[in-house]
Amino acid sequence: MLRGSLAIWQRDMLILRRSIISELVAVVAYPLTIYLAFGVGMQSYIGLVDGAPYSLFIAPGLITMTAVSAAYNESVWSLWFHRRVQFTIESYRVTPISVSEIVIAKIFTGFTHGIIKGCAVGLVIYAITPFRFPLEHLLHYLLFLIPGSALFSCAGIISGTVMDKPETIGKVEAVLVMPLIFMSGLFFPLSSYPPSLISWVRALPTTALFEGARLALVAGDMLLPAVLQVALSAMGAFVAAVFIFRYKMSE
Amino acid sequence: MTTASIVTRSLTKSYGGLTALDSFDLEVDRGSIFGLLGPNGAGKTTLIRILTTLMRPSSGEAFIEGLDSRSEGRDIRCAIGVVSQENSLDRYLTARENLELHARLHNMEKRLYKRRIDELLELMGLAGRQKDFPDTFSGGMQRRLVIARALVHQPRVLFLDEPTTGLDPQSRRAVWEYVRSLAGSMTIFLTTHYLEEAEQLCDRIAIMDHGRLIAIGSTQELKDRLSGATVYEIEFAGQGADHYAALLGSMPCVMDIKQVENKIAITLECWECLSEIVTALNGASVRRISLQERTLEDVFISLTGQKVRE
Repeated sequence: MLRGSLAIWQRDMLILRRSIISELVAVVAYPLTIYLAFGVGMQSYIGLVDGAPYSLFIAPGLITMTAVSAAYNESVWSLWFHRRVQFTIESYRVTPISVSEIVIAKIFTGFTHGIIKGCAVGLVIYAITPFRFPLEHLLHYLLFLIPGSALFSCAGIISGTVMDKPETIGKVEAVLVMPLIFMSGLFFPLSSYPPSLISWVRALPTTALFEGARLALVAGDMLLPAVLQVALSAMGAFVAAVFIFRYKMSE
Repeated sequence: MTTASIVTRSLTKSYGGLTALDSFDLEVDRGSIFGLLGPNGAGKTTLIRILTTLMRPSSGEAFIEGLDSRSEGRDIRCAIGVVSQENSLDRYLTARENLELHARLHNMEKRLYKRRIDELLELMGLAGRQKDFPDTFSGGMQRRLVIARALVHQPRVLFLDEPTTGLDPQSRRAVWEYVRSLAGSMTIFLTTHYLEEAEQLCDRIAIMDHGRLIAIGSTQELKDRLSGATVYEIEFAGQGADHYAALLGSMPCVMDIKQVENKIAITLECWECLSEIVTALNGASVRRISLQERTLEDVFISLTGQKVRE
């Protein structure tokens, strides 16, 4: 049933392979700059956060941010481009594969981009900064990173499906996606929020993702409710993405 | 077994209050080249989107090779090849990779599609450019590649939606040659803005407007549908055009008259009226009298009240 998905995903991976160096340079530059500016530059002013040096506090979040942003961006722009500019989606639709196979392929492409780019940033931070973590924590961390990338890939698919104008995509990213990432405890502990807001912030799957991923990577903690929250959100987003894409294509 | 490859019955598509396709009935013979003409907004694209399963009709039925578009979409998509109006080539894949991806989406075996792609690239004159990206191709080459892509899986019905729009005359003629070479081996359903293209390629032509089929037949049959009126052009060798324009214009058998310098074009009720005209011209210094052939454009204008690109 997923034969068509596999063909499209392999096509996307071929394109990624061809441009992997430039893609990785672009994707590593941003989090690395933030790490050097905030983690290293501001560390002496900020001191310890939740008992850890600030550079260690933000490193897991930067890796997670890279992965989910890459997943979101690849999905949203790729789908928009193939739907509105290159019309490749239409050329897929006149072959015997189903609309669901097309959208599943695109979700997996976004997810793969997220995982590859997140790992690349993790390796670079590991290589050139003092940030270290026990390798056994990696498995716990991946339990957040995998559904997190899937969640953002699905969100990107939904945006790329419903939005026809590139400027709208840019606005949604600026107004919704980036604030959700930045306000999820990436740069500061959740305890900084006023008590009245904390329960609302914790209800967000992005908070569960960033908070849970950091604790998993740095301390090896396994916050099962947080993993479940991210995983269930990813599943819900997957169903929504497939449904919305199918609906849009039937119009 | 029916000889019709494409059949529509009372096919209707409405968007809110707008009816894009209105009880459209059509039969296209298997193995023929069929042309669909209509002004912009006539419903051509809606019809082709329904026939290629990209859109569901509001009501009515459409069958491709006997397959019902509502319930057998996947089987229909196995049987058809589509060349859409837009250039939908993947610009990040080489020419060959574009064809390979399409073959894989059609679940073809690698062994089979490799040979088929070699044949098609050769046929379309693109074998030497198979490793190049489509962005480096001319418009005509890109169009040939899109046609090759639509043919990879050996479809029984080929839909060509304005296949030569934007091409220079030379490339257009090259595409016509390829389309002609396919005649008989598959049914070809063509929409076009170029009446010459329809006239050159199609066995039968349908003209639609406001979502309705208003005429169908061969080019000659469509021309014969025009009234018996015939147009003659009279060219005078010297002076006298003004005088004879006034004289002929007063004759009851002359339906219309136009004068440009020393030439007069007269529309007669029927060709038998010509003898009266010749008699009236007795003594005039006439260089030539010629019959103006009716064109598909005349048919189109008479049926739709507008030119094809309006």
